Amino acid sequence: MNRAVPRPFSLLAEITHRCPLHCPYCSNPLQLVPSRGELATEDWKRVLAEAAELGVLHVGFSGGEPLQRPDLVQLVAAARESGLYSNLITSSLGLTRQRLEELKGAGLDSIQISFQSDEETLADRIAGTTAHAKKLQTAQLVREFDFPLTINTVLHRGNIHRLEQIISLAESLGAERLELANTQYYGWAFKNRAALLPSREQVDRAVEIASAAKKRLLGRMEVLFVVPDYYSDRPKPCMHGWGQKHLTVNPTGEVLPCPTAHEIPNLRFDNVREKSLGWIWRESEAFNRFRGTEWMPDPCRSCEFREVDFGGCRCQAALITGDATVTDPACQFSPQREKLTRFVEASQEGRNAFSSEDEEILFRQNAGS
Amino acid sequence: MQLPPSDMRPKLSFRARLQTDKVTGKPIVLYPEGVLMLNPTGHAIVSLCTGEATFDQIVANLAARYKISAQEISPQVAEYLNRLRERNLLETRAGNEGWK
Repeated sequence: MNRAVPRPFSLLAEITHRCPLHCPYCSNPLQLVPSRGELATEDWKRVLAEAAELGVLHVGFSGGEPLQRPDLVQLVAAARESGLYSNLITSSLGLTRQRLEELKGAGLDSIQISFQSDEETLADRIAGTTAHAKKLQTAQLVREFDFPLTINTVLHRGNIHRLEQIISLAESLGAERLELANTQYYGWAFKNRAALLPSREQVDRAVEIASAAKKRLLGRMEVLFVVPDYYSDRPKPCMHGWGQKHLTVNPTGEVLPCPTAHEIPNLRFDNVREKSLGWIWRESEAFNRFRGTEWMPDPCRSCEFREVDFGGCRCQAALITGDATVTDPACQFSPQREKLTRFVEASQEGRNAFSSEDEEILFRQNAGS
Repeated sequence: MQLPPSDMRPKLSFRARLQTDKVTGKPIVLYPEGVLMLNPTGHAIVSLCTGEATFDQIVANLAARYKISAQEISPQVAEYLNRLRERNLLETRAGNEGWK
């Protein structure tokens, strides 16, 4: 193998698919792992230690809702012991004072709380449950415990008009970082994309608002705005390249080059129950399938941007064209670009599915036991 | 960009952790979703951002260490601190608001 295998920097530890929320854009797969299929505590501890040995610096404890795992504090302690910088990516439901105390003691470095919107009625409608008021309380508790706080809001047609208020909310909560993440259309979100995709006008306005906030809050609150690639000429540099910087371990122990790689048909993922993380990172079929530039077809192969955006997103190529090996249709040079633009044009007049009760939206289901 | 107030006491943010990288053996600063790989000068500056030393004291310390005049080195230190500040890695609660 003459391909240089770099070190990974970040690990997303999806420790469970169980979640009290039902967000219709959830990035989990449609086939959720039931709790009986989850990795054991000792397996996760080994994964964390192996990740740190490989060079990983950041671990995000995610899910589902990671607080649903009773051993979360032990896992955080294991991460700290290995020198990993840990982030708890949570809805905050279940984050009690006692749990915060334990997590602080275990060495948790930062907390990221999702907010579905800035106002309760809409936020709870999007979450498919009563959550917003509780989140506000918990965010304040997080500040009391002196954890760095990130607020993450997934943007879509149902809440993008509230962007200014969402930014104000993050400010009032004292967050140091705000992630304004336009919905990525995979899994549940792909199913619901006709109801979720904002109009071009809404996106343009949001870009203006976010840029102004970024400037105004420089040095106080980091504002990250992820442009929806359906509206971009260039594809996103997905994961900064396949198998270059990131790995995801899902609840059952499969290791994925990106959290949504299960969208790619016929790609087999090795499991940490059978193989070491290092072997999977370096040798496994899944990690080498799209690593580097050799796999690329034209127009990527000869494109001047091939080391800039790495051909875009493999999952998106698979979902929209049916072929994971072609250029991401979000790219203006993709021969199949039309498949995406036709959808975008057709959805310009769509209504806001969260504004009424008779919506045609598929809410995320429970993961089962 | 101005120099910071001479009595400002820069402190690495509570979001950040300075440690040694296991792979390279070099100093790094970890913070939410990010990492700074420090060169020796960066490491020297970051190590002095404890909230104890003033900007002037940091400059004097580095000037002595690198055998270079304080006047010459202070804009470079200020620029480095400003980069930290823009990444939200300097403690904002320690009263560096006076620095424009």
